[in-house]
Amino acid sequence: MMKIEAIIQPSRFESVKDALLEIGIEGMTVIEVRGHGRQKGHTEVYRGREYTVDLLPKVKLEVVLPDQLVTRAVEAILKSAKTGKIGDGKIFLSRVEEAIRIRNEERGDSAL
Amino acid sequence: MEESVTPLSVLGPQCEAQRERIRKLFESGASAQETLRRLCELADGTIRKVFSELQSARNGASQGLCLLALGGYGREVLFPYSDLDLLFLFANEKIETESRPLIGEFARTLWDLGFRVSSAGRTVDECKRIEQDNAEFHLAMLDRRYLDGDQALFEKLDSKILSMAERQARPFLLDELQRLTRDRLGRYGNTIFHLEPNVKDAPGGLRDFHSTVWMRQLAGDRRDPRLSPVNENELTRNAVEFLSAVRCFVHYSNGRNDNALTYELQAEAAERSLGIDDNLRRNAAEWMRLYFRHARTLNRQLLRYVEQRPPVTLSLGQRLINAAMGPKAEVPNGRPFAVRDGLLEITNEQAFADRTVIYSLLTEAARTGVPLSGDAERSIAYVMTHPEWPLRNSRITWPVLTEILGADYPGAALRPMHRLDLLVEALPEFRVIDSLVVRDFYHRYTVDEHSLRTIEHLQELAESPEPLGKHFAPLWRTVDRRDLLIFSLLLHDVGKGMPVENHVTGSLQALEIAADRMKLTPEEKEEVHFLIEHHLDMSATVQRRDIFDPATVSGFAAMVSAHERLQRLCLMTYADIHAVNPEALTPWKAEMLWQLFVATSNHFSRTLDRDRLHASDEAVLLERVREQSGGAKKAEIARFLEGFPRRYLAVHLPAEIAAHFALSRKLGSEPVQTEIKKTHHGYTLTLLTADRPALFATIAGTLAAWGMNIVKADAFANAAGVVLDTFNFVDLHRTLELNPGEILRFQQSIADVLNGKQALEPLLKGRLAAAVAQPPKVVVSTSINFDDGSSEHCTLVEIMTQDRPGLLYGIGSALARLACNIDVALIDTEGQKAIDVFYLTSQGKKLTTQKQEILREVLQATLS
Repeated sequence: MMKIEAIIQPSRFESVKDALLEIGIEGMTVIEVRGHGRQKGHTEVYRGREYTVDLLPKVKLEVVLPDQLVTRAVEAILKSAKTGKIGDGKIFLSRVEEAIRIRNEERGDSAL
Repeated sequence: MEESVTPLSVLGPQCEAQRERIRKLFESGASAQETLRRLCELADGTIRKVFSELQSARNGASQGLCLLALGGYGREVLFPYSDLDLLFLFANEKIETESRPLIGEFARTLWDLGFRVSSAGRTVDECKRIEQDNAEFHLAMLDRRYLDGDQALFEKLDSKILSMAERQARPFLLDELQRLTRDRLGRYGNTIFHLEPNVKDAPGGLRDFHSTVWMRQLAGDRRDPRLSPVNENELTRNAVEFLSAVRCFVHYSNGRNDNALTYELQAEAAERSLGIDDNLRRNAAEWMRLYFRHARTLNRQLLRYVEQRPPVTLSLGQRLINAAMGPKAEVPNGRPFAVRDGLLEITNEQAFADRTVIYSLLTEAARTGVPLSGDAERSIAYVMTHPEWPLRNSRITWPVLTEILGADYPGAALRPMHRLDLLVEALPEFRVIDSLVVRDFYHRYTVDEHSLRTIEHLQELAESPEPLGKHFAPLWRTVDRRDLLIFSLLLHDVGKGMPVENHVTGSLQALEIAADRMKLTPEEKEEVHFLIEHHLDMSATVQRRDIFDPATVSGFAAMVSAHERLQRLCLMTYADIHAVNPEALTPWKAEMLWQLFVATSNHFSRTLDRDRLHASDEAVLLERVREQSGGAKKAEIARFLEGFPRRYLAVHLPAEIAAHFALSRKLGSEPVQTEIKKTHHGYTLTLLTADRPALFATIAGTLAAWGMNIVKADAFANAAGVVLDTFNFVDLHRTLELNPGEILRFQQSIADVLNGKQALEPLLKGRLAAAVAQPPKVVVSTSINFDDGSSEHCTLVEIMTQDRPGLLYGIGSALARLACNIDVALIDTEGQKAIDVFYLTSQGKKLTTQKQEILREVLQATLS
């Protein structure tokens, strides 16, 4: 099984969620994060005060999936999160050794 | 276990069978009181049997050792899965040491029999000491009850040792109990209105009742409030029975000591009509209303004994300011209420049969943030329900409600109004959300509680806001028509209690009825309508749109249409998210909301001249203005409107535009037309005249000469060269208020100065000299920024500086001296800071870099 971590634009979150739902992925962890890569921040001036936005708001999705679903999930995220502009985010994939459902101690893919 | 002891294999099934029998009796309708008594008898019987058998088996004498029940079990109130609080009392340390094996075996046996034992051991000498860091133990000891063992030892402890020690420790225990109670209530947000309440520990839960009993006991009143011959105590008895039944049910349903009344259990309780004698069928929401009614009874009783604090912590400075701003609160001043110990108290109960008096008390609370005392609320409740004091002036008027809603601390009035049912009397539309549970995963409180919390979160911004609110505090302090914002918050979710598909639709329907009944002006109604209709839109934009995309900002700005409205909508959104649950407004969301506000606000001030009115595109508006202009010709109205910035439409309603148009028609006979209106915070001057050099500076100078402090202003011009200036000002010396006849002279003075019949300088001289002598309270450094990119035709200059009388005159004069034409002006004030934006041209073009530098120097010199 694999863990997908996707850092996306907050405005694309609903679309990404819907796209994952469409391929049967219902469970995910969502975290409000801030950060920047190539998309640097900017400075706004309001009433004489400068507000520097150097860490931009993003949403981080985490989902662990059986291997056979990973490619489709990545495609769904790419398709729904892409606007073509700098700042669209990144997807990270990593292997997960085990998953355990706390309620009934199921293990492996069936715990996902 | 020793052989002489009844084996667990016998005792265990017996206990289990007994428990099952009690459970079945409860499920078949036995009262909570009876169920708790039976559970207690089962525990008592088992404990005595095990204790005495173990003692006999160990050949131990009962002398010098006894067993006490404490806490709830001591009160003979034992819920199905509650802990058994026990105390082993030893005559001395030797017996304590000898008894350890017995106690260990006793505790293990009870655990094996399914009792959750929580035990402690003390010698008699140890009980004499009050442990300062363990008030909970001493409070549990207040409910001690002899169970088994050396009865003489218990009598000695009870009547000789503890009676004296507890008497001496009463003040300490009372303080500690109050502290623990406040902490507990605080953990639950000081409200009973949780969607999934904890029936034991949450405000309104059974712990409230027990804390009340302890407080009365510690205060020297040993009566059980349930037995008091006061009518209210019947309500208490019923509430305790109801909540006890609910807690039994919750324990049985969860199979453990879990006191959360979840949505699922609410539905099941409603289905079973739990705790209800009548045969009426109720859905979960209706059943929960009964729950909250009982919870409210217990919570009110408790709050009588808990020291009250103001809803927001006021700084000393603010208290002094509040006191100075109005009549001294400590002195009744002919009014039947006064402030005592930081609370508003009633001095003449009878006067409160008149609702006008009640509302004057509530207005005082809203103005100063001083809360009503519990006694004051009870007195009002008593007067309201007793026919010997007939009700007078029952209908609240919009101006009276506006005073409460527009004050600095509206929550300080609205909260007691809700508790006293005055809120639904004033605003019957609110009734449908009273104690209403609407199930979702995000909201933690009932709909009415959520609505009141939104308002309290805003008023908290006035004083030491939490980090999340730091950006929003200045918006709250400077927001215009705060009353309309608060009114919108009261109504924004009432649709959730109405049979409509979308709650916003319901809330708007409620607004229609409320606005007609309370006689809101069309402008007021339209503003509240906007805020309710769009109360979710800013949050949706923040979360679903790219707020750093100029197109998003531009689209959002078009929907909001004016900065004043943006400010209200932003505060509404902040409060609405914040009141969902304590974690809902994350720093991430607060920052996003702020970013959208800043971007939209800047969009408004930087794009004013980009979007001009073309009357031919405004057929609906033309018709509406024509209707209110006595049938004037559309073409004439179109000529007047052509070329104004669209902001003009955003900040003025058709009725106002019709009035401006009427003034413009008189320009032929009198070249300066003025109108002055009293507003909530001062006066508004509307002035129309043909454009001319130094016009803005001259008007500002005349206002300054009359001692008027300009806090906000707009200056627009149409394509025909007619200037329409609006100045909001504060009459610093109350000249117009104390001498209404001066208004005409003031208007004449403006016209005379503009028409060259009167010189401005002599008028200004004395006034400005006096003003300069006063040092500023807060020092604001000056900043001057030019922006050539935002407008196609103009250079924007944004000036931030210390506000002072005559400031605009100084700036306007400097601009005039350098032949800068003001195309548009936006003037605002934030406390001591003036924030002025001018769209400037020179000879019909943007200002050159060289001219900008000269202007900067001149302005710096003027403002320094």
